[in-house]
Amino acid sequence: MDARLRRVNKEIKDCKSDEASNITVDLVGNSPFHLKGSFLGPEGTPYEGGHFQVDIVIPDSYPFQPVKMKFITKVYHPNVSSASGAICLDILKDAWSPVLTLKSTLISLQSLLCSPEPNDPQDAEVAKHYMTSRASFEETARYWTHIYAGGPGKSGMAKGGVDTKDEVAMAGLEKAHVDKFEALGFERSKVIDVLRRLNYRGANVAKLNDDRIVEELLK
Amino acid sequence: MSSDYELSDNEYYDEEDDEVMYVDDDGSASEMDVDFRISPASKSKSYEIDYESLTQAQVEKLIGQDVEDISGIFGVEPDTASLLLRNFNWNKEKLIEKYMDNATSVSIAAGLALPEKPEASSSRFEASSGSRRPTRRSTAEQAKSGKAKILERLTPPADEQPFVCPICFDDTQTKTMALACGHKFCTECWSAYTTSKIRTEGEHWITCMAEDCKLVATDEFVKKALGSDTSAFARYQELVVRHFVSCNKNLKYCPYPSCTHTVSCPSGASKSALTTIVPIVGCGANTAHKFCFGCNIDADHRPVVCGVAKMWLQKCQDDSETANWIKSNTKECSKCQSTIEKNGGCNHMTCKKCKYEFCWVCMGPWSEHGTAWYSCNRYDEKASIDARDAQSRSRASLERYLHYYNRWANHEQSAKLSMELYSRTERKMEEMQITSDMTWIEVQFMKKAVDEVFKCRMTLKWTYAMAYYLEKNNQKELFEDNQRDLERAVEELSELIESSIDPESALALRQKVTDKTVRLPVVWQSTGFDHLHLS
Repeated sequence: MDARLRRVNKEIKDCKSDEASNITVDLVGNSPFHLKGSFLGPEGTPYEGGHFQVDIVIPDSYPFQPVKMKFITKVYHPNVSSASGAICLDILKDAWSPVLTLKSTLISLQSLLCSPEPNDPQDAEVAKHYMTSRASFEETARYWTHIYAGGPGKSGMAKGGVDTKDEVAMAGLEKAHVDKFEALGFERSKVIDVLRRLNYRGANVAKLNDDRIVEELLK
Repeated sequence: MSSDYELSDNEYYDEEDDEVMYVDDDGSASEMDVDFRISPASKSKSYEIDYESLTQAQVEKLIGQDVEDISGIFGVEPDTASLLLRNFNWNKEKLIEKYMDNATSVSIAAGLALPEKPEASSSRFEASSGSRRPTRRSTAEQAKSGKAKILERLTPPADEQPFVCPICFDDTQTKTMALACGHKFCTECWSAYTTSKIRTEGEHWITCMAEDCKLVATDEFVKKALGSDTSAFARYQELVVRHFVSCNKNLKYCPYPSCTHTVSCPSGASKSALTTIVPIVGCGANTAHKFCFGCNIDADHRPVVCGVAKMWLQKCQDDSETANWIKSNTKECSKCQSTIEKNGGCNHMTCKKCKYEFCWVCMGPWSEHGTAWYSCNRYDEKASIDARDAQSRSRASLERYLHYYNRWANHEQSAKLSMELYSRTERKMEEMQITSDMTWIEVQFMKKAVDEVFKCRMTLKWTYAMAYYLEKNNQKELFEDNQRDLERAVEELSELIESSIDPESALALRQKVTDKTVRLPVVWQSTGFDHLHLS
């Protein structure tokens, strides 16, 4: 039997038999080379309670070349693209070793959620948010976990209904700030977009004066 | 002056003293060296460059010498010496210095030894790595009993349990391989891994497959792992040679596809020399493999120096001139911003896309013009003059560029066609041997003429790039005169080659062609190289 197929089959079997780790790997179609992995958000992080899904493609030269992974579930994390789910992790690139497995790679992803590397970001805007105001970042990440990964919502937020997404909280902004600029007659979505881009959070709020924001809004 | 000359000679041949010599020299002196070296030493024209073509085997021999030196000095295996040198980018002096200083750390960095040492040093390593990163702790703990563990792994378990390769999970494999770290994998996996590293990644630095293991495979190990796949091993050797060549500034790999020759050209290696000379070199594999040692353009770009040649190619490649054309010929719809070219008709424009109606002159909405009989009543004297000026300026610069570019491209096209002419000429030469009583050696003049035409066309091509950048002055006029002379001479010769032959005129034709062929290089020189310093 083909060495690659044998190895992948064994890896899938291993994941199935190990229930304690809470890591699953399932086939997407009929091919064992396109899989869907999932794991639970690590405890003690904003991702706790979330169920994260990862798209896994196994290349022809596996296991000598790394697997291709990206998040299906939206994640608010400096090393994960908030738009595409692309992941920035060394073992998925040059630090890959053939002895690493799907399971160990998924565990590495799990631990990436525990310890972000904002200095080597995939999503610069999220990384900026992380660097300026950790508390606000964590709140947003928790909100994303709640909305997209089925995590528990913050008691205050759940009032608005679980299904309606709060755009302001999604972008990690203060409702008061958005309301202030919306009152000047700008579209709400545009205000959110500009404030998010300029990183209008935490200590940065004092640095950015209103004229600068309005100037950006008028562009 | 004579002492200067000796100095440059030294620098040329004695590579080991290279750095010392440069320290002694100040910048201007070394620049002068270049001139001295080329002209009086070889008694050749100033534009000819000394270079040497090396085959892969010859470069391998050079590598072999370095490896032998190091293995002799350090008393290590040649394979080990090779890895040490590769890790130090083939800088022998630096390697010797560092190795004498701390052989252990150099070996670890070169992937020859494991960072963890048994006994005394192990506890130290454990302490330092433990504080650095928690994941390291486990490996460090293993290392505590490092030696014992490796021994254990090497001897007994073969009987107790069948070996299961941790990569392919195959328990039927009996042949395994491991580097000095003792990480065992089956031979098939090693083979697939090294092949993938060499073929897919073009990597000559092949580390152990285990996670975080930095040990590197020696040439011997790679050869063993690849087994019967000799072509992959040849590729591996080529990669090592390429690494060696890329680390040595006096060497360059031939840029032509699948060519494995190397060119050594010390006079073209310094940046300062590139402002005065164009080091065109060729490799020994094929006479067509001409390239510039300075900038790797795979053609003879004389008389233009490397910097200018690059600038010109960049200009021809990027879309800046397309944008220029668009700027001088089109305007944008002020509503939907689509680009509109006005190719006739009145000034009452209707945008095809958004149906916006506007005036071409003032770009304002047409509705405000009312029935102004196609003449814009919002005509702003100054603004419109400015606009027209800007437009004509950009149009003029575009035309200037196109003038040079068209001629440049034309000569390139003609030079390409010369290749076709080559085969036709061969037929003609055969024909000539039959119809007239000329011998094979006597008809060679035709081939020579085609070669000359090709060479001159390449030069002519680049003279247009040069002319584009020349300032308008007397020297440029002189340059253009020479360019015209060369162009005329080339066209005349070209026409003669293409003309049909009848037995009577064959001799006369031969005389004429030979005459022109001989004269052409004279014109060629005057065109290109008197003016090299201009740019």
